[in-house]
Amino acid sequence: MVGPLIPMGVIPETWNNVIALLLGVGFGFALEASGFSSSRKIMGTFFGYDFVVLRVFFTAAITAMTGIFYFDYMGWMDMSMLYINPYYVMSAIIGGIIMGFGFALGGFCPGTSFTGVAIGKIDAMFFSGGLFIGVFIFSELYPLFQGLYNSHNLGGAKIYDLLGMRDTVFAFLLIVAAVAMFYGAAFVEKKVNKVEY
Amino acid sequence: MAKNKRDGTFYINPYLGGVLLGLVLFSTYYITGRGLGASGAVKSSVVSAVHTVAPVHAEANKYYSKFLSDDASPMSNWLVFEVMGVIVGGFLSGTLYGRLKFKVEHSPKITGKTRLIAALTGGILFGVGSQFARGCTSGAALSGMAVLSASGIITMMAIFGSAYLFSWIFKKLWI
Amino acid sequence: MNKRYLLLAGIIIALGVGILFMPAKDAAKQTQPELLLAAIDDPSRFLSTDDITDRLVKKDPALMLIDIRPVAQFKAFSIPGAINIPVDSLLSLSAQEMLNQKEMDKVFYSNADVTSDQAWIICKRMKLLRIYVMQGGVNRWFSTIVKAEKPTETATAKALELYQFRIAACQHFYGSSEMAAIPNAVVEKKGVTVVKKASGAKSGGGC
Repeated sequence: MVGPLIPMGVIPETWNNVIALLLGVGFGFALEASGFSSSRKIMGTFFGYDFVVLRVFFTAAITAMTGIFYFDYMGWMDMSMLYINPYYVMSAIIGGIIMGFGFALGGFCPGTSFTGVAIGKIDAMFFSGGLFIGVFIFSELYPLFQGLYNSHNLGGAKIYDLLGMRDTVFAFLLIVAAVAMFYGAAFVEKKVNKVEY
Repeated sequence: MAKNKRDGTFYINPYLGGVLLGLVLFSTYYITGRGLGASGAVKSSVVSAVHTVAPVHAEANKYYSKFLSDDASPMSNWLVFEVMGVIVGGFLSGTLYGRLKFKVEHSPKITGKTRLIAALTGGILFGVGSQFARGCTSGAALSGMAVLSASGIITMMAIFGSAYLFSWIFKKLWI
Repeated sequence: MNKRYLLLAGIIIALGVGILFMPAKDAAKQTQPELLLAAIDDPSRFLSTDDITDRLVKKDPALMLIDIRPVAQFKAFSIPGAINIPVDSLLSLSAQEMLNQKEMDKVFYSNADVTSDQAWIICKRMKLLRIYVMQGGVNRWFSTIVKAEKPTETATAKALELYQFRIAACQHFYGSSEMAAIPNAVVEKKGVTVVKKASGAKSGGGC
């Protein structure tokens, strides 16, 4: 069975929603069990008292990436068929900065806020409500942002192409960087006073 | 640690959590060819809500109308189901580790009301930002990193870089 | 430093070194030979003339019947509803745009099987989806639909039904009065042009 299964037509599309629900359960469980339903735990990464976000995020990214690379190498999966978000240079950076601002105020990101909602965090419910309002505002004001939103389109660009290196080299460096960050995080955590939350 | 698993303070080892999340993300790519997402579900519910309340307005708006065409809908449905799963999964984990409780979590230095206002504002900003970046921390940054997409890694750096900066400005909200 | 973490770090870095030594992938985005072979082995790429006829009669909007013979042959005779993409212009921009419509079933045919199958393999290598070959091509179309053979008296009900269907389809395509004239004209590949306007030619480009 060569993946990705649905685009290759191995699994009929009628299964789509069931699969979505099951994968979502796994996603939600992993987030909540790691402590992402607590905004103060999440914010620990920025103040140095709890690096759970950094650890989970980068472990997840390099795990999935390694899996994809090995499956592609073994011929079990076609990496070139995976969807790549188009890279609109300005829009991605500005969007990221706005999200960072929202992150610092709200203490969640959309995925984690939903797990917060699931366990009854009222602040997470307000954050999720805010998401809907934010998307609504953006859509209503879209004519104002349209130029920026659509400028500098590089298509489904890969980071290693932009840096002019081979994909395998970048993947290796990313793994090394992640491990180095984990080591650094443990070091910082020891120095910073514990915060009770 | 094991004896207090249900008092709400136990979290799994972050690396275990990361590997779990990574395997879920990998399975998502292996099965669907796309990554995970969260803000996309919000977008499609807003689009369909506006389309139900004011169909003419939604079709006239260039942003909504992009997502109203027939071939755009199956994927956005996918994310809605996925997010329902996230809530179920979060609930399961919360039940397992004894964290189900209505509460407002905030720093002792601020009131619950301040926290709720900040959360709402943060949510609004995140909603706007995720539309600019065509995805949020899960959809753009995490999923993008797994396939080494440029947009994913740049968005990730922008989110965490600016969040780091702004969090020190709003330090009082947290510690 | 916890020893278990050192072990985990060692494992992931070892996997990373493994990635480092993976060979560079073929820059051309083509299907690997192994996958192509597996796909060629799969008989589901062949559709019968009866299947196609049925879908033509029902005016299936997802069917794109593609005649890959040279223009002259296409003009002399073609299956009603087919569009013409001669095999030598298969890689042209307009043809690619046509073939890239994901929601369409692209069905190739030629006089027999060989050329249409070649076109199929080329398209498969280019990773086009939903591509098929009409088995037997125009020759079988002729022997099964246009000159459907009347089953013998002892034939099963199923065979009779199929025959009725073929006759009805033929009348649907050519009208009963013209029917007599077609075969000769076509076998000699000249004379009366019975080709209807290629109504199946969808305006190019999916969206």
